[in-house]
Amino acid sequence: MIVCKKEALRYLGYNKQNIDNNTKYLLDECIEELTGLINKKSVYKIFNIEWENEAIHLEDTILHMESKDIANHLAKSDKCALMAASLGLEVDMKIAFYARTNLSKSLILDACASSAIETYCDQVEETIAMEASDKGYNITSRFSPGYGDLDIGLQKPISQILETYPKMGLTVSENSIMMPRKSVTAIIGWQRGKPSTKINKCKLCNNINCLYRKADNNE
Amino acid sequence: MNKTLDFNEFIILDGAMGTMLQAHGMKAGDLPETYNILQAKIIETIHREYIEAGANIITTNTFGANCYKYRDSNFKLEDIIGEGVQIARRAAGYNLVALNIGPLGQLMEPYGNLSFNDAYEAFKEQVVIGTKAGADLILIETMSDTYEAKAAILAAKENSSLPVICTMTFQENGRSLTGTDPFTMVNILQNLGLDAIGINCSLGPNEMMPLIPKIVDYSKIPIIVQANAGLPKIVDGETFYDVSPLEFANYVEEMADLGVTVFGGCCGTTPKHISAIKDALEAKAPHKVKVKPITAASSSTRTEILGNEVKIIGERINPTGKKLLQAALRKNDMDYLLKEAIVQKDKGAHILDVNVGLPEINEEELMVQAIKEIQGVVNLPLQIDSVVPQVIEAGARVCNGRPIINSVNGEAKIMESIFPIAKKYGCLVIGLTLDENGIPKTAKERLNIAKHIVDTAKTYGIPKEDIIIDCLVLTASAQQKEVKETIKAVELVKKELGVATTLGVSNVSFGLPSRGILNRTFLATALGAGLDAPILNPSEEDMISTVAAFNLLWNHDKDSKSYIASYSNLTKETSPKEEIGTKDLKKAIIDGRKKESSQLVKELLQTMTGLEIVDNYLIPALDIVGENYEKGQIFLPQLIQSAEAVKKSFEVIKENMILENKDEAPIEKGKIVLATVKGDIHDIGKNIVKVLLENYGYEVLDLGRDVPITKVVDTVKKEDISLVGLSALMTTTVKNMELTIEALRKECPDCKVMVGGAVLTQSYADMIGADFYARDARDSVNIANKLLLED
Repeated sequence: MIVCKKEALRYLGYNKQNIDNNTKYLLDECIEELTGLINKKSVYKIFNIEWENEAIHLEDTILHMESKDIANHLAKSDKCALMAASLGLEVDMKIAFYARTNLSKSLILDACASSAIETYCDQVEETIAMEASDKGYNITSRFSPGYGDLDIGLQKPISQILETYPKMGLTVSENSIMMPRKSVTAIIGWQRGKPSTKINKCKLCNNINCLYRKADNNE
Repeated sequence: MNKTLDFNEFIILDGAMGTMLQAHGMKAGDLPETYNILQAKIIETIHREYIEAGANIITTNTFGANCYKYRDSNFKLEDIIGEGVQIARRAAGYNLVALNIGPLGQLMEPYGNLSFNDAYEAFKEQVVIGTKAGADLILIETMSDTYEAKAAILAAKENSSLPVICTMTFQENGRSLTGTDPFTMVNILQNLGLDAIGINCSLGPNEMMPLIPKIVDYSKIPIIVQANAGLPKIVDGETFYDVSPLEFANYVEEMADLGVTVFGGCCGTTPKHISAIKDALEAKAPHKVKVKPITAASSSTRTEILGNEVKIIGERINPTGKKLLQAALRKNDMDYLLKEAIVQKDKGAHILDVNVGLPEINEEELMVQAIKEIQGVVNLPLQIDSVVPQVIEAGARVCNGRPIINSVNGEAKIMESIFPIAKKYGCLVIGLTLDENGIPKTAKERLNIAKHIVDTAKTYGIPKEDIIIDCLVLTASAQQKEVKETIKAVELVKKELGVATTLGVSNVSFGLPSRGILNRTFLATALGAGLDAPILNPSEEDMISTVAAFNLLWNHDKDSKSYIASYSNLTKETSPKEEIGTKDLKKAIIDGRKKESSQLVKELLQTMTGLEIVDNYLIPALDIVGENYEKGQIFLPQLIQSAEAVKKSFEVIKENMILENKDEAPIEKGKIVLATVKGDIHDIGKNIVKVLLENYGYEVLDLGRDVPITKVVDTVKKEDISLVGLSALMTTTVKNMELTIEALRKECPDCKVMVGGAVLTQSYADMIGADFYARDARDSVNIANKLLLED
């Protein structure tokens, strides 16, 4: 199942309220509908990391990253994977359709899709982990432009390097918004030795009042 | 002197450029076109290799040379494209140079934020530079979106006199990334004045084979295929393609036998592939295919063919005699219009007529807006209905598909103004059988006008299959004698001219009781006489069932499948998607039951005024819901369902006021403008704020998402607005929020601004100069109440 109900509910601000039958029904309906809308596509590529003082450069690419957080994240890595994943345009179309006709459904479908893209990224990450393991590496967790101090503007060069538009229809706008909306780009470090612990993305974010901030393993 | 472009012969294009550049060590993510300046020799060498391999046309290294990809670079497009053409020119000798134009790499409206006009301007820049630099033709390639392709083709046709050819790219499921199938591509694009059309990239020749028949059967222009050297395979992180030149050439032979005449390669192909194509075609002659003429309208993802199964043209989007639609159009309320579009589709319409003509509005602007909105939510082909040529042209231009124009008639003046538009934008045209002297009485005379229309169209290069004749229905109450002349005329037109036909059926019963009986009887008779596409109201079950029965009886509905699906269990009630409650409006709202709420409001309206319902039921219920939400007893989807129930209730009350001409005090408390700022497309939050504000009686002017600063300012000025709500979800777009506020301060100093969105905080809001920070949707209601009610 690509939608994790618990996650979808978290995006909807759920906090142990009693869910009435209509809402339950809507949620199930959205999950089913979403399954038919998803046209998932992904690409990834592995690169050697070149350190230039504090900054990171990926060999034979145009990607140059100046960020403490990504430097920490990749501290033990000598290679990394760049990945991009997307659920495709039909999901956006349907969410927009319901925004005009049935706002509750639009909202719920959007939350389900947010959960689905995460699940899908986990699957892509799994594939990358296997490839890494074949070569004697383990991997770090995913780290995306916009986390911590990593410039969200890096989505554009990553998209260019992975040729995400021709390969999967993924575009990045002038304001670094990825379209189709339910899309992710991320960096995954390849390192020798012990696997690193999972990061809590929320911990890297400054918006401490955020509705979606994960309460568990926080702080 | 260059060779001439002769589409009667096979034409060989070149193969991949990107693949070759990577082999020359281009860095991942580099802009390949910069090589035109930095490594011109390499580009020239690649071109020469393709010429030597046998290409008749080489394509310039300018695929991505557009203002979007080069915005942040230090290069000028003039240099990149100019040099690109020069290098190709040097290598080409007597062979031809095609200016290569690829997609802009941005997603088009309505799902992305590239507008049709902006796309057009970007392509225009490329076309102008490339044409000036000396290209021989223009190749628009690898398009995924028919809308973007249309913008590019128009830019090429309007700014250059060079031949234009175009390819789109399809996935293994046979659809482009935006959902277009090859047949629909042909129907939309070939009529825009292209010299050749086809498919390229994404797939290897084997996967392309199944897509070719539909293109060959319907394309009136030469067909291009540029396949990849197979599907990409990844080994050790490197992508490669493994269809050998010989294997590739075998497919080329098969495709040539089907009728393809222009070949080349895409990703993974090399000069060796091109050389193999040349060898394969040596002994062959182009295979001429007899194309089936069809009358077909398209949206970007759906094509409806007239002439077999009856197609229904929905008539509801036309303000004539419709008070609610008139009121909605005057208020620019697109939601109402969309509701009409969606209902008609659900009831079985195949094509939607769009008429927004009202005396006191800007019809051209509204037509453009209506078409853009409708094609964003409903995938039916559209019929642009207006008496003003400029309105028709504006509509035909922004329509993503192949629309029908409604209409011309036998008057020379009208045909002179409309046919050039139809030709340029490749539209179908409805021809009404009337002229300067009005509607002729007899069928024979109407046939003569129809013939005159078809003949005149031909002189504009519009074939008869692009004309749909409307023999005009007269009302039985006024001209009883002539009613059957229409039926006879349909028969004659079908027999003598063989063109598709339409009729606005329900006119027949005007002024008589039980109109449904007359309408359906007339419809059945007209269908028997050869009516292909009745214009009617799909919500009238009599009409829809008549069409369904006719399709069955005329053997269009094979094995009665559709009929049985629709009518076998009529008694079974459509599944109630809502649990039914206690008939208490307050409770229905609190539980978020939309249908029941509006039903109960209708009942209450028998005994009390709208305002009483608002005060005694809606507001108290909302207060309870709001309180429950704030206490954490319900969560967001539940709050929104209640809000939607209230919204529906309001709609019923407002519609009742319009229909009954009630002179009650308006139930709106004030107008608020909402917009998701320029550059941002996240609008769920804004939509939630909108519905809640409406619930509390505010009229919301929703400007949508990615809203230009000027549009916010202009609306605030024009409507004399005192509160604007702006939303932005991204750190990158908060800047535009700040700029919007700045512009508002300057132009409309009295207007207050509230802001909200995931990345905002009170201090951030203060920093960008907002008056209020709305933490959530409920908060924005409090702000509005405080500001607008305490005056």
